[in-house]
Amino acid sequence: MPITHGNIYRKAGMSALLAALCLILMVPAVLAWADFAPTQNSAPANNPPALVEVSRSGTEARADGVDFALTGFERFNEGTSRKYQGTSFGYRYPMSSQDAFVVMVIDEHNALVYLPETIASEMVISAAHSDFEAMLKALDAQVFNADTKLADRDISYEYTVERSVVRGAYRYDFVVEVEPGYYYATVTAVTAETGTGGTPANDTAPANGEALASDAAPEKDRAGALFCESGLVVSAENVLIEQAPTGFAALREFFTSLDLRPFWVSLKTSMVAMIFVFVLGLLAAQFSQGISGRFKGVLDSLFTIPLVLPPTVCGFLLLILFGKSTAVGRWLLNHGIELIFSWPAAVLAAIVVSFPLMYRTARGAFESLDPSLGDAARTLGWSEPRIFLKLTMPLAWPSIAAGTVLAFARAMGEFGATLFVAGSYPGVTQTMPIAIYFEWMGGHSNVATFWVFVVILFSFVVILFVNWYAAHTQRYRRASSDVEKGETSPPATRFASLTAGPKEDT
Amino acid sequence: MKKKPMFLKVVVVMISVFALVFALTACSQPKAEEPAEPASAPESTPTAQPVTLQIFAANSLEKALPEVQKLYTAQHPEVTFTDSQFKASGDLVEQIGAGAQADILITASAGSMDTAAEGGSIDEATRIDMFGNDLVIVKATGSDVTVSALEDVKSDAFAKIAIGDAATVPAGQYANQALNSIDLYTSDTGKDGEYDPAFGEKVVLADKVGTAANYVATGDCQIGFVYTSDLYRYEGIETAFTVPADAHKAILYPGAVLKDSKSADVAKDFLNFCLTDPDAQRVWSQDGFEVL
Repeated sequence: MPITHGNIYRKAGMSALLAALCLILMVPAVLAWADFAPTQNSAPANNPPALVEVSRSGTEARADGVDFALTGFERFNEGTSRKYQGTSFGYRYPMSSQDAFVVMVIDEHNALVYLPETIASEMVISAAHSDFEAMLKALDAQVFNADTKLADRDISYEYTVERSVVRGAYRYDFVVEVEPGYYYATVTAVTAETGTGGTPANDTAPANGEALASDAAPEKDRAGALFCESGLVVSAENVLIEQAPTGFAALREFFTSLDLRPFWVSLKTSMVAMIFVFVLGLLAAQFSQGISGRFKGVLDSLFTIPLVLPPTVCGFLLLILFGKSTAVGRWLLNHGIELIFSWPAAVLAAIVVSFPLMYRTARGAFESLDPSLGDAARTLGWSEPRIFLKLTMPLAWPSIAAGTVLAFARAMGEFGATLFVAGSYPGVTQTMPIAIYFEWMGGHSNVATFWVFVVILFSFVVILFVNWYAAHTQRYRRASSDVEKGETSPPATRFASLTAGPKEDT
Repeated sequence: MKKKPMFLKVVVVMISVFALVFALTACSQPKAEEPAEPASAPESTPTAQPVTLQIFAANSLEKALPEVQKLYTAQHPEVTFTDSQFKASGDLVEQIGAGAQADILITASAGSMDTAAEGGSIDEATRIDMFGNDLVIVKATGSDVTVSALEDVKSDAFAKIAIGDAATVPAGQYANQALNSIDLYTSDTGKDGEYDPAFGEKVVLADKVGTAANYVATGDCQIGFVYTSDLYRYEGIETAFTVPADAHKAILYPGAVLKDSKSADVAKDFLNFCLTDPDAQRVWSQDGFEVL
């Protein structure tokens, strides 16, 4: 009676604890998201004046009370001096299209704005240069790049409808059709004579400007501009600004775009590893029981050493062993076994690092068993396998189960050795810990945060399970030992010995 | 009495684990190949065999190259890309040397490609210089540090300076070559040298150029040596100083098809596409790579 009573209390208490801890874990997670979600969108948005709206894609902008809008905006940070079919076009930047505007930033203080004639006249844009610039700056601020923002610079914009303009030592050509259907804005260093002569001889035909192109010195051409921006001017009615989602919509978008494969890879890897570790760990523990003397100590150290070694050392050794550079690795390769940088390698790494946990727990459990039980069984004519399966295993089972779970958690958390021998192939060998590292290094700290919380939650559940399971089996032991011999309960110390090693109260 | 159910439990657990694993392998297999399925459906010529390319590319290409891969798949639906690796060029070359399979290698320095060539991994005939880049000293956005000349890195204002580990990171080698010009590094190749002791204490080595950028973005380092193109893929950094191009070797990105590639022709075509396709050109331009 009192046992079941306590049972209910314990269960209720545990679920409450679980719920509370989940909450505690979730709070920082939500806070973290609340923190990063707006910063992604709002940081660039504080530059433009309030009246300009920029789409989430960063390609469209519209301003209140202005009848034109900008679309298809692109910023080209670098151009190319590459020749097209043997012809040099100077240093060229792509244009969004044939009818696009071009903002060529010549130097720190000057920009040349090319507007197609139709747009310049139709939209009376000359009366609206400030609107154009406001939208341009807003779009520029949205570009994923904190460097040389137009809005932060004191740049004077010079507007032109000419397709070819000489400024200083450079000639700027717009709407140059380099290959059919693709238009470029080009920068060409002009020779001293043409520069001082000041005759824009190429005014009419940008096509024959090629003749003047200095294909000898692409470096010179390149120095004629810092970067270039291009886009289209359209009627404001045709532009629909799509705002970036906020709050729950942003959260939902984050989750739908999330690549969940690291979780499945982790689970798959550690589960397969666990099958091997379970069998090998038990066998090794049983085997080491059978031998004695100095050799036993050596063997024990050998089985345990991956637990103490840094995982990178294990990884290094595995790489040496199975890589192309050694005889073993080459032999395996010649026999069609490509282990390194494949999924089996991740399993192998997980096996190596989690094996000691299984081995030591199982050994501790076996050693703590009363050897006379085995002797008794032998007198009854039981075979050794039968003793192992029907006597040793069931008696040691609570410890073995807990050891399995711990080894599983260790395999799940494996990072160093896996990275060494299996690399980081998304969907193949990229486990959660590896995803965390690479997502953070890749600047996706939000994704990294997500995986961090998944791992924390998972580990927490694992530990909770181990504790619960230990308590559960202990209770059953206590109940039976109460009947058999009274209050003494050796299993109570058994779980504590899990990590303590083989030396036991035998 | 209780022994039998215990043993049964073991069996049950083992069986369920096996079942789960098979279920997982079964359900995750199609997931990995998913992109191949929808792509191969439309307009592809009936003769086209589905091809999967794997690219090992310098870390700095991590943002731009996948965009160009998408463009290529749009034009050639039978070609898909899997498991592209973006690490320090030296790591990639080592990885290939250790037996990793790939079709294309693009490194951030001629030196690392030379190493791959010496190891016999690449098809020399396909080697081509693809991109140019610039070396810059970056600081955290809004940070008030100033660098007006290369010598300024000696300033006490910088407690930590992020530099790629020259052993594998070409950006670190270029940085060290520049530092060699002001006697802060002993080797003019930018590799296998020593930092000036006082300066060396401040250097934080990064395992790839992106890590150096990240160290600066997070404020762990005040300044760092990265490529111009890294500005367009990392939030929170801005140029403090552009290192003069004559202070280091020209920054070139050679690309080559690997000897072991099973789809060498397609791989070669993709390299050519990177350099000549006008839509790819837009991507390179936006992400700060000068196509050579």
